[in-house]
Amino acid sequence: MSETIFLHPATFFILGAMLLPVAQRFKLQKILLLVVPLLAFYQIRFLPESFGVCHFMGFELIFGRVDKLTYVFLHVFTLMAVIGSVYGLQVKESGQHMAAFLYVAGSLGVTLAGDYLTLFIFWEMMAFASTFLVWYRKRTKSIEAGYRYLLVHTAGGLVLLAGIFLRYQNVHDLSFGQIAADGATLADYLIMIGFMLNAAVPPIHAWLPDAYPEATVTGAVYMCAFTTKTAVYVLARGFPGFEALAILGAIMTLYGVGYAVIENDARRILAYHIVSQVGYMVCGVGIGTAMAINGACAHAYAHILYKALLFMGAGAVLEMTGKSKLNELGGLYKYMPISLIFTVIGGISISGFPLTSGFISKSMIIAAAGEHHRLGLLLMLTLAAVGTFLSVGIKLPYFIWFGKDSGVKAKEVPWNMQLGMAIAAFMCIFLGFYPDYLYNMLPFEVHYHPYSAYHLSETFQILGFTGLGFFLMVKKLKPEPKSNLDLDWFYRKGALVFMWVASKPISIANDWIGEVYRTVGMRFTLAVARAMSWFDWEGIDWVLDGSAKGVVKGADELRTLQTGKVQHYIGGAVVALFLILIIIVLI
Amino acid sequence: MIAQLIGYLRDHATVMKWLFFAFLAFAVVFDFLAARHHPHFWGDSVIGFWSLFGIGGCLGMIVICKGLSHVWLMKGEDYYDE
Repeated sequence: MSETIFLHPATFFILGAMLLPVAQRFKLQKILLLVVPLLAFYQIRFLPESFGVCHFMGFELIFGRVDKLTYVFLHVFTLMAVIGSVYGLQVKESGQHMAAFLYVAGSLGVTLAGDYLTLFIFWEMMAFASTFLVWYRKRTKSIEAGYRYLLVHTAGGLVLLAGIFLRYQNVHDLSFGQIAADGATLADYLIMIGFMLNAAVPPIHAWLPDAYPEATVTGAVYMCAFTTKTAVYVLARGFPGFEALAILGAIMTLYGVGYAVIENDARRILAYHIVSQVGYMVCGVGIGTAMAINGACAHAYAHILYKALLFMGAGAVLEMTGKSKLNELGGLYKYMPISLIFTVIGGISISGFPLTSGFISKSMIIAAAGEHHRLGLLLMLTLAAVGTFLSVGIKLPYFIWFGKDSGVKAKEVPWNMQLGMAIAAFMCIFLGFYPDYLYNMLPFEVHYHPYSAYHLSETFQILGFTGLGFFLMVKKLKPEPKSNLDLDWFYRKGALVFMWVASKPISIANDWIGEVYRTVGMRFTLAVARAMSWFDWEGIDWVLDGSAKGVVKGADELRTLQTGKVQHYIGGAVVALFLILIIIVLI
Repeated sequence: MIAQLIGYLRDHATVMKWLFFAFLAFAVVFDFLAARHHPHFWGDSVIGFWSLFGIGGCLGMIVICKGLSHVWLMKGEDYYDE
C-alpha cells in the first residue's frame, strides 16, 4: 500500500505542503519549492495504467487511472507547478505555498481519479485550498471576494454531490467514465452542472472575474491554470458530444472577450479572457469528434502556459508598482522592458500568431467545427479570436507599457520571476515551432497540419486588420476607472436583500418585545405592586421577570442565528442535503 | 538596451506605420496565392473575406461592447460597497 501512495503525484505536493513550515525554519523552503514539482513532473512518466484501487464501505475507490487523456493534463499541470513555484520563490509566507501545493494536489487527484467519490474529495480540496490564495492578499476586498468564491464553489460542489448520489441510486456504480449524450438523466446533468461551474460557463461564471483579480500575485498565476482546466478535463472525460456544451462554449468565447474589451483592471481583463479561452475548450468537448477533443486538450495545454505568462506579466507590474488598473499605468517600457517582452510573447501566443502555441492549438478546434459543418460555431469562435487579439494582444500591453506616460516609475522584477516568465515564454514559442511535441501527447491520432498556406493567409488577414481596427479606435478604447456589472450582481445584491429580510423582521420583533416588556411589563409590575403592596414581592418579580426575560432571550437566540456566519449556513445546508439524500437513497 | 530600441522605433513611428500598411497589403496579396483545399463554407472561397471579417468584427465589437458598457453595465468602482 505504501508504495502505491508514492505512485500518486499528489502525495508529493501534500507532503511538501506539510513540510514547508519546517523547511522555512531551516531556510530550506526555496529548495523544497523547486524539488517537489520537478519530482512530480519527472515521475508522471512512470505511472502504471491503474493503481491505488481500494475498497471502502462497499465502494471501489480508484485513485489512479492513467491513459493518454489523463497524461496530457498531468504533464501540463506539473509543468505549470514548476513555473508557478519558480515565479513565487521570493514569497516568504509558507502558508501561500502550502495553499498552492494543496491546490495542485487537488487538481492532480481529480485528473487521476477513476471514480466519482475520489474525484469529489479532491474537487473540494481544490476549492478550499485555492480560497486561501485569494485571502492571502489580506485586503478587505480580497477577504470578501474569497468568501464569495468559497460559497459559490461550495454550492457547485453540492450540486455535483447530489448528481453523484442520484447516479449511484440509478446505476449502482460510481466509476467515472464517458456518459452517452442521448441517454443522459437528471443525475448526469447535475454532475455536468457541477463541472460547468468550475469551467466558468455562463451564467455560472461570475465567481472567476470576481475572485481572480483579488488574489495574490503568485496566487492568481496558479488559479488561472488549474480550476478551469481541471473542469475541462472532467468534461472531456465524461461529457464529450453534448450539444449544450458546444453552444454554451461558443457563447462563452464571445461573452468573456466582450468584457475583456471594456474592463479596466489588467488582471480582471485576463480573468474574463479565461472565460473566453475555456469557451473554446468547452465547445471542442461539445462537438465531441476526435479532432475536437484533441483540439480541446491541445488548447488547454497551450492556454495554461500563455495565460500564466500573461498573469505573471500583469503580476510583475502589480508587484513593482502596486497598480493593475490600466488608467493608472502607461509608459512602463522604459523601466520594465523584459517583462514587456515576455508579456507580448504571451499576448501574441494567445492571439494565435504563427510560430506560437496559440496558432497550433486554437485553430484545431475551429477546424474541427468547420469539418463538422458547424458554421455558426466557426464564425463565433473566429470572432472571439478577433476580440482576443484586440483585448489581450494589443490593448493590454499597449496601455501598460506604451500609451500615455503615467509617470509611474518601476524596477524590473527579481530574477526568479523573470525565470518563471522565461520558461513559459520558451514553451509558447517551442510549441509553435515544434507542434508535434504536443500533438504526440494528445488522446487521439492527429491528422492536422496547422502550417497550411490558407490557414496562414486567414491568420495574417484577421490579425492585421484587427490591428488596424484597434489603431483607428484607440481613443474609444481609452481605459476608464469603472467596473462593469456582471451576473454576480444577483448574489451580491441578492445577499444584501436576504440579510435585510433576515435581520429586519427579527430585530423589529426583538425591539417590539423589548418595548412591550418595558411599557406593559414594567407598568403592570408597578401597578400590581402599588395595588397589592401586601403581595409577596419576590413571587411577582420572579414570575414576570422570568417570563419576560425568557422572551427576550429567545429573541436574542434567533438574532444570533442571523449573524451571517457563513460556515454555519454552509454546515446547515450540507446537513440538510445529506439528510435528504440519505432518505432518497434508503427509500 | 531593449528600452532604447523600443524608444528608437517609437521615434520613427511614421516608418512603422507604413511597414504595417505594407503588411496589410501583403496579407491580401497572399490570399490570392493561397491554395484552398477544403473550403468549409462560402467565405473560404472569397478573396479577402477574412480581412473584412477582421476589420468588421473588430470595429463592431468595440462599438457594441463599449456601447453596452456606457448605457447599462458601467458602474463606479465601489458600486458594491455603497
